[in-house]
Amino acid sequence: MNLVSWLVIVVPAVAAAIAYFAPSRIGRPATAVGGVSTATLIAIDAFSGLQPAPDALSSLFLLPVAIVYGAAGLYSAWYVAAESEDDAVGERYRRDFLGLTNAFACAEVIVPLLSDMAGVWVALEVTTILAALLVRLQGTDGALEAAWKYILIASCGLAIGLVGVIVLYAAGTPVLGAHYVPEWSAYRVVATRLDPDAVRLAFMLALVGFGTKMGLAPMHTWLPDAHGAGPTPTSAMLSGVLLSDALYVILRFAGIANAAIGSTMTHRLFAIVGILSLALGAFFLLRQRDVKRMLAYSSIEHMGVVALGLAFGAPLAIAGALLHTINHAASKSLAFFAAGRVAERFSTREIAEIRGSARALPISGTLFALAGLSLAGLPPFGIFRSELMILAGGFGGGSGWLAAAATVLLVVAFAGLMRWVSATTVGEPPASVERGERGTVAVVAMLLGLVVVVGVGVFVPVPLTGLLGRAAALFEGPL
Amino acid sequence: MTPHPITVTEALAGTAAVALLLTQLALFRSVVLREMISLYATQSALVGAICLTVGIAGRSWDLVVLAVLTVAFKVVLLPAYMRGLARHVSDRIELPVRVNVTLSILMAAALMALAMLTAARLPLPSGAFLPRADLATTLAIVFVGFLLAILRPNALAQVIAFLTLENGLFFGTVTLAPGLPFVVGVLLLIDVLAAVVVFAVLVRVMVMRRSSASVVTLSELRG
Repeated sequence: MNLVSWLVIVVPAVAAAIAYFAPSRIGRPATAVGGVSTATLIAIDAFSGLQPAPDALSSLFLLPVAIVYGAAGLYSAWYVAAESEDDAVGERYRRDFLGLTNAFACAEVIVPLLSDMAGVWVALEVTTILAALLVRLQGTDGALEAAWKYILIASCGLAIGLVGVIVLYAAGTPVLGAHYVPEWSAYRVVATRLDPDAVRLAFMLALVGFGTKMGLAPMHTWLPDAHGAGPTPTSAMLSGVLLSDALYVILRFAGIANAAIGSTMTHRLFAIVGILSLALGAFFLLRQRDVKRMLAYSSIEHMGVVALGLAFGAPLAIAGALLHTINHAASKSLAFFAAGRVAERFSTREIAEIRGSARALPISGTLFALAGLSLAGLPPFGIFRSELMILAGGFGGGSGWLAAAATVLLVVAFAGLMRWVSATTVGEPPASVERGERGTVAVVAMLLGLVVVVGVGVFVPVPLTGLLGRAAALFEGPL
Repeated sequence: MTPHPITVTEALAGTAAVALLLTQLALFRSVVLREMISLYATQSALVGAICLTVGIAGRSWDLVVLAVLTVAFKVVLLPAYMRGLARHVSDRIELPVRVNVTLSILMAAALMALAMLTAARLPLPSGAFLPRADLATTLAIVFVGFLLAILRPNALAQVIAFLTLENGLFFGTVTLAPGLPFVVGVLLLIDVLAAVVVFAVLVRVMVMRRSSASVVTLSELRG
């Protein structure tokens, strides 16, 4: 790792220490600066050609951290101030929240930066511990329940993932020696000499174990609770970054499995969990009453879409799946941020009780609707582009039936999201709801998110196209 | 691979692995927190012994150090901490169980058999590097750890289930991947301790708010 990589880790770590130990009036700007600085450094890493991260796949999966932590740092500064206005929370809460948020981002950024799988496992477990503490922070019975379920289920999932790590390590022993550092690149080089059955077993364990953390059905049960009960910036970071971190690890295992035994098995397994997650997410979207839980089910749906892109196996679909991870991170964090503002203004998360959000909050309410349209897959947003790439890859690559089923389920999800957008955005807000926008910093954070959401939909920059191609080759391409 | 007579080291490690499985089964017989914690400490001591045996046999001194750390943390410190926590939850009161003890032991035994069969049926070629008994024991402890967490609707009992599951993983790491860098082993240990501290924080809050560590009442979030 070079200086930029170290800085990407050190900056959020320092921000975490300042936010936790200093008064919150100092911790708030420290968090904002930490988020924006880390985002800038990651952008330099990804597009400058310095390549400090281990490879293109790592650089690509740093982008969701940049997008979400950059915006969440700014948003959290407003969020803590807004909570203080209500006098609902004390200084201890503010410091805990800001400190943990930065530490969580630090752990999330470490996952794609490390080149060895055992270290990555440890970093993922750290994210679980920190996320559980964040989810618990609000102090309600629901938050306690969500935190308990999350840490128990995610830790058990990671335990299965660790068995996968151990099996793959054992598989590498005859080729790489009894004592070796389990680096991703080393496995790719010797993939064809690894025992095929051990690799098969390792991938299956990794998919189930890390798939639990990624929110893939049927291991998703913690996700709606944790995303629904946590503070808004935490929900955004859980959905936008943590899920993609887990996906990153699964992709590493899949890349080794594809190189060792061919891609038939990984494609089949991705197809099963992908269609199951998409179906579950889509149908649960239709019956949600809580706005944050609805966004959580949308995350499950989109993780299903990503898994299907990987299952189709066509280069276009794989590039689409990787791009979808970035688009989902940007759209979902925007949706959570805007939903948090709307819920705060209406003093409820019940969809049925939110009316005319665009009038009550001209910017946040409108962004709330735009985020919904983006998540539903409408143009000109980035998700439309990546879903189109995935489906085109599926139809063109001989997975027509699966692509057709995915299209039908996407229409169901579209209907669920549209119902929510129309119900909450249009009309007149209740007279008791104050009108007008407050919190410039939070608005800036959301507008930055919107730039990415629309920008990638309209135009994919050449450096990002190159990064996508190089990353896809590491997953599926020849050695 | 040519069959060879079993060595003293292999016999010791094998015996300890069987004892490990027996302690896992005994956890289902126990319905009192204090007993469960003692069984966990015993199981951790066995894992430490296996780590020490493998370390001495392979002259891997980092594994010897790891064994000492394991005993210090998992046999002494963690059980003491858990006992302190259990006092808040009335450690002598019988824990609720979802199914009766006999049936739960039968279910655990069935899962162990499934783990053995799964490991044995893996079509690994003869002379494979993956010792099937070690993989089978690892899978058995992990499967049964899950079952324990499901069948005991008490927060502390679920923490113990998680810890026994981790013991299985540690066993797997030591026997299947003894060459994994030392620092990773230590990190795993620290990681587990941190997870237990968070579990403990949540248990304390649970007991404070609800005067009970039962997780049956955690059913507010649905749909």
